[in-house]
Order: sequence, then C-alpha cells, then structure tokens
Amino acid sequence: MSESEPTNLSHRDEMETLLPFYLNGTLEGADLAAVEEWLATDPTASAALGEAEAEFSGVSAANEAIRPPTDALSRFNKMLDAEAGRERAPAPSMLARIWDGFLAVPSTVAWGAAAAAIALLMVQTVLEPGRPGENFEIAGTDEAAKMPFVFVTFKPDATIADIAAFLGDNGASILAGPVAGGVFKVGIEASTVDDYDRIVGLIAAQPFSETVVPGRKPADGG
Amino acid sequence: MTAAPSQQSDLELVGRVAKGDRAAVRLLFMRHHARVYRFVARQTGSESMADDIANEVFLELWKQAPGFEGRSQVSTWLLGIARFKALSHLRKRKEDWIDDADAAAVPDTADTPEVAVMKDNKASALRGMVNALPEEQRSVIDLAYYHAKSVTEIAEVLSIPVATVKTRMFYARKKLGEALQSAGFERGWP
Repeated sequence: MSESEPTNLSHRDEMETLLPFYLNGTLEGADLAAVEEWLATDPTASAALGEAEAEFSGVSAANEAIRPPTDALSRFNKMLDAEAGRERAPAPSMLARIWDGFLAVPSTVAWGAAAAAIALLMVQTVLEPGRPGENFEIAGTDEAAKMPFVFVTFKPDATIADIAAFLGDNGASILAGPVAGGVFKVGIEASTVDDYDRIVGLIAAQPFSETVVPGRKPADGG
Repeated sequence: MTAAPSQQSDLELVGRVAKGDRAAVRLLFMRHHARVYRFVARQTGSESMADDIANEVFLELWKQAPGFEGRSQVSTWLLGIARFKALSHLRKRKEDWIDDADAAAVPDTADTPEVAVMKDNKASALRGMVNALPEEQRSVIDLAYYHAKSVTEIAEVLSIPVATVKTRMFYARKKLGEALQSAGFERGWP
C-alpha cells in the first residue's frame, strides 16, 4: 500500500479518518468543527462513532495486555548509577549524628552527655528552623512549642495504640517526630518539676519505652 | 510555593532532571515507562527488545534533558526517542522492516480474528485485526487511540508528514472495516 494520499476521498472518508482524533480529544479548529457538524447532521455518523469507539477499546486492550516487567525501575536505577555514578547518601541530620554518637559510648557517660547534646540540638534548631527532613520545630509561639517535653524512642514492637493510650492517660502527647533514629518529642502537661519528673519516670518505666532523655522542664524548674 | 513532586508537570520534572535530579527522572520513569515499553513492544514484536529500549529511552532523557526546550509534550518526545531506538535496533538485527509498500504483500493473518469470530466476540476479533495491521498503520492507530496523540504529534513521533499520518489512518481504518465486514460484522464504512 502506498504512502500517497488517497484520491477522490468522499466527505465520509475524511470524517472517518478524523474520528480517532475526535475521540482522543486532540482535534481542533476546522477539523473539529467539520466532525461535529457531521455528527450532528448525518444519520450514519453516530454508528460510525460507535465503530471508532469499539476500535478504541480494542486498541487499548491490545496495549494493556502487554505487561512491563515489574523490576524495570530497579534495573533502570542500576543503569542510571552506572551512567551517572553512584548517588551519595544524604548527609545525616544533626540529631541523627548526636544520637548515633550517643549510642556509641557507654551508657553512664552517654546519659550525662545527652543533656548537653540535646541542648546543642535545640540551639541549632532555633537558629536554623525549617531544615528539610527535620520535624522538630522547637521555636514557635503556640502553646505546644512552649510546653515541657521529653525525647523518647520506643521499642520496635511497641504499638501505637498502647503508646497513645498511655500518653493520653498521663497528660502527655507526641509533639513531633520521628526523626532519624526514631526519636519522638513528647509534650508533658506538667506545671511543676515534680509533676514533670513523675510523668517522665512513668514513661521510662513502660515496657514500650526504649530510651527517655529529659528535655525542657516546667518554668519553676528554672 | 514549590509543588509537591506528584503534582509537578512533566516539563517541570525534565527541568529538574536537567539539573541532575535523579528522583525526577525516576518519577518520569514511573509515569511513562509502561507506555513507552508497550509502544516499542508493539513496534518490534519483542518484549525483551522493548525492555532494553525502554530503559535506554530514559537514559537518553537523563542525558538530553538540558537540551529539551518543551516545544512538544514530554511523552511525545519520549515516544520519538523510542521510535528512533527501535528502528536502530531492528536495523542492527537485520530484521525486515515493513513499510506500507510491503504491507500489501503481508500474508493476511485473519485466522486469529476468525477464531475470535467463531466465539462471537467482536471485541476479540477487532483486537486481533488491529494486531494484524501493517506495523506502520498500527503505530498510527496505537498513537491515536492508546497514546492520545494528535495528528501533528504522531507526525513528530514517526518523523513523517502530517498528510502521511492521515493517509495511514485512512488505510488502517478502511482495512479494519473491510476485515470486520468479511468476518460477518455489520459495518457502515467503507
């Protein structure tokens, strides 16, 4: 069959040629007007449109029957790495670095150092608010930002239901997190240091708590 | 405000790719890979070739993104790259390329539609008839019906004149109509 344009095309031939483009929504201008007029005035046009719709379904089905491999993206990633060089891992956050260092030293020393490290984190966060990847927002004007809090990590087998129930019963709530290392910032509804210490002690005693590091205490605690 | 990645347009993602953003090229891969893969598989008749070529298309996207000017849709651009690569692969393998002149000599593969007709299933018959079209007519049909491309975009993907797109569409639909009629289905045209 030749590439040359067919001669002596009837109006019907021309409209049939344009119907697929009418159906896929790409027809415009004079061609669109001509097809719309034909559909509105020719009694045979609606049947022709039905035939084109059947072709549409058949072609879609024939294409959808071809299933790309499910591991295509992972193989492409390897090709991309080979082409562009291996991607660098994102730099760990300040909290992750503090936390990793904290876990790497003996606990008696680490717990003593934790307060200083977290204080450093707080200063850094206040000075550099909105860093990507950090959920903490210590500086702020709302009540949550001012309330006493504690840093907590939970055991891997802890359930959200258990944690939420306990915190709710004891005037505590998760304010932010987790950040790298699985650290949550838990707000404590305490007006005195004694209340704060009691609730933090309760959190630390729970089977779902892994580590608890005191943060901001109530105002009367200095 | 920067749009969320899932809301970013293809053009915006290509802009990010041009700056070396691999996450953006992966997003484009996830959006377009299946259609590129199917387009190549339909052209070449080989899914293993489609697998290789589809990956190559997105590597080309990675390389060529800085030069993309956005004059066509990203999907049209990708299909054009896929078409070029498919042709190159076919030539390398010294497989016969079917052009319209040869298409007339292609043996009629109407058996498959006839089997479907025996099952009184017009949809299956039509699907078989579409598959039996000469490749260059089937590409036009696929690009219009499945890839929702305009006459101009198909011309761009296939590197042929607009008039040729219409010619191939005319003959493809005419052939489908004749095949349906010969299989006993009512059809008003041709």
